[in-house]
Amino acid sequence: MLGVLKAIKTTISTALRKPVTVQYPSVKKELPHRSRGLPVLLWDFDVEEPFCTGCQVCARYCPVDCMTVTMKDNPLFAEGKSKRKKIVDKFYIDYARCMRCDICVEVCNFDAIVMNNTWEGVELSRYDRHDLVLDVDQLMDQSKSGELKDPFREPMGVAHAGWAPKVRSEEEKEAVAAKEESGEE
Amino acid sequence: MIADNAWLDGLIRMGIIALAMPLSVIILTYLERKISGRLQQRLGPMRVGPYGILQGLADTVKLLTKEDLRPQTADRWTFELAPFAVMVPVFLAFVTLPFTADLFVRNLGLGLFFIVAVSGVSVVGFVMAGWGSDNKYALLGGARAAAQLISYEIPLVLAVVAVAMIAYTPEAGRGSLNLVEIVDGQGRVPFIVWQPLAFFIFLVAGLAELYRQPFDIPVAESEVVGGPFIEYSGIRWSMFQMAEFVSMVLISVLAALLFLGGWNWPLGNGAGIALQLPLIFVKTSFFILLFIWLRFSLPRLRIDQMMQFCWQVLLPFALLQIIINGWVLVYGWPDWTLGVSSGALTLVAGYLTYRAARQAAEQPVSPRLHRVGSVL
Repeated sequence: MLGVLKAIKTTISTALRKPVTVQYPSVKKELPHRSRGLPVLLWDFDVEEPFCTGCQVCARYCPVDCMTVTMKDNPLFAEGKSKRKKIVDKFYIDYARCMRCDICVEVCNFDAIVMNNTWEGVELSRYDRHDLVLDVDQLMDQSKSGELKDPFREPMGVAHAGWAPKVRSEEEKEAVAAKEESGEE
Repeated sequence: MIADNAWLDGLIRMGIIALAMPLSVIILTYLERKISGRLQQRLGPMRVGPYGILQGLADTVKLLTKEDLRPQTADRWTFELAPFAVMVPVFLAFVTLPFTADLFVRNLGLGLFFIVAVSGVSVVGFVMAGWGSDNKYALLGGARAAAQLISYEIPLVLAVVAVAMIAYTPEAGRGSLNLVEIVDGQGRVPFIVWQPLAFFIFLVAGLAELYRQPFDIPVAESEVVGGPFIEYSGIRWSMFQMAEFVSMVLISVLAALLFLGGWNWPLGNGAGIALQLPLIFVKTSFFILLFIWLRFSLPRLRIDQMMQFCWQVLLPFALLQIIINGWVLVYGWPDWTLGVSSGALTLVAGYLTYRAARQAAEQPVSPRLHRVGSVL
């Protein structure tokens, strides 16, 4: 009997609280920092090349064999701009196969691969499952464009600072823009 | 009179009702989903139109365009006519339901009796649906619906009778079954003050009549998968749904008329239709919101608990209320004795139910009751 009053009191006090749901595709909740989406590669903004050297350790440890990696000589090393002798040539990850075990991230010696902790690492509906096999450019795209904010890696984050997009001063930006324009011409 | 010809006048009034009811169903489905969302910390429908206000319309279109399926082994005519048997009585009840002092189709002298009699017929439709579907869950649901409606019709009618007994107008004297007269008698004090016990009995029995939580035993999804509606789809299913919502409006309006003074209290009978209509609307909405609110607050009762409550609490106390009303009328005691006695009885009934519920919670359910509960 008194339970009835208690029940309607509970529901009305719940109704006065803010709804916890959001309008998902248009409004997105912030994902936790450790959210484990699908793996992506990181871009080294210090040298303007991938961190990945194509050493294949991730591909060998991958329990579902979703990765294919090849290695090549680094042209930037020959020019003396980079310290990496070898660099990744081709890198495919079949997202349809990947089970997000995080092993590739743990074994990577160069902190070159991380689990995507943005919504793009989760929203993967495609009309054709072949579109789920991503190549090196697609895997690098998010990191390169700076969308991959604050990637997470066990136990204390990505060790090096090169993944962060360089914050340029106004003059530098203009210089880069001018350079790009001249390059286009 | 809207038109000069009595037939034309009646037809126009019925047309207004027939148009207003589906509209109110569309609004109520949206409202119920929205409120249920808020009660569960959700947003409710948001996609169709701003804040999802067109959701009811979208649902209607969806239901009307859906395929009307009939199981191969169903009893054809029983199955196909059952929705009508449910819906028609509910609409019939609106023939004599007054919304304001002069907004009704026809003011019958036995209006209250007519409404109670007619709305009880809809159980035939539920049994027909249960039988005609050739589905054991539907049949179980139909049997449960019949059992529940027959039990709860009695306290409902007795509560209504208790009010009809004490209705007073200077012209007609004591006792009336005419709804307009009953409302006219509540100019100073609504009957909820004189008859709180009858009010609570009416509310509980009405809730059971509507098959709404916590009395949704006949249509319980987790027990009989929707009961009599299980084989229905599209337009026929939506007719059941419509009947459910329309009868919710019916019970709410009736409760507003009988216990909250309808259009009369507190503005008085002289107020124009512009004031009376909002007043009755507010009172009806209060009951509808209460029903929706209760639906998402209370767990479903077991069938033996429900039957026990009806026969051991509601029925004796409804009879007691009538007997006390009779004494008061016969000996000509002042009106306040009605309120005091009924209030005291309400407290007693509440305490007894509370104690019984406490005891039942402490004792394990007997195997016999388990069996009864599982059969019906």
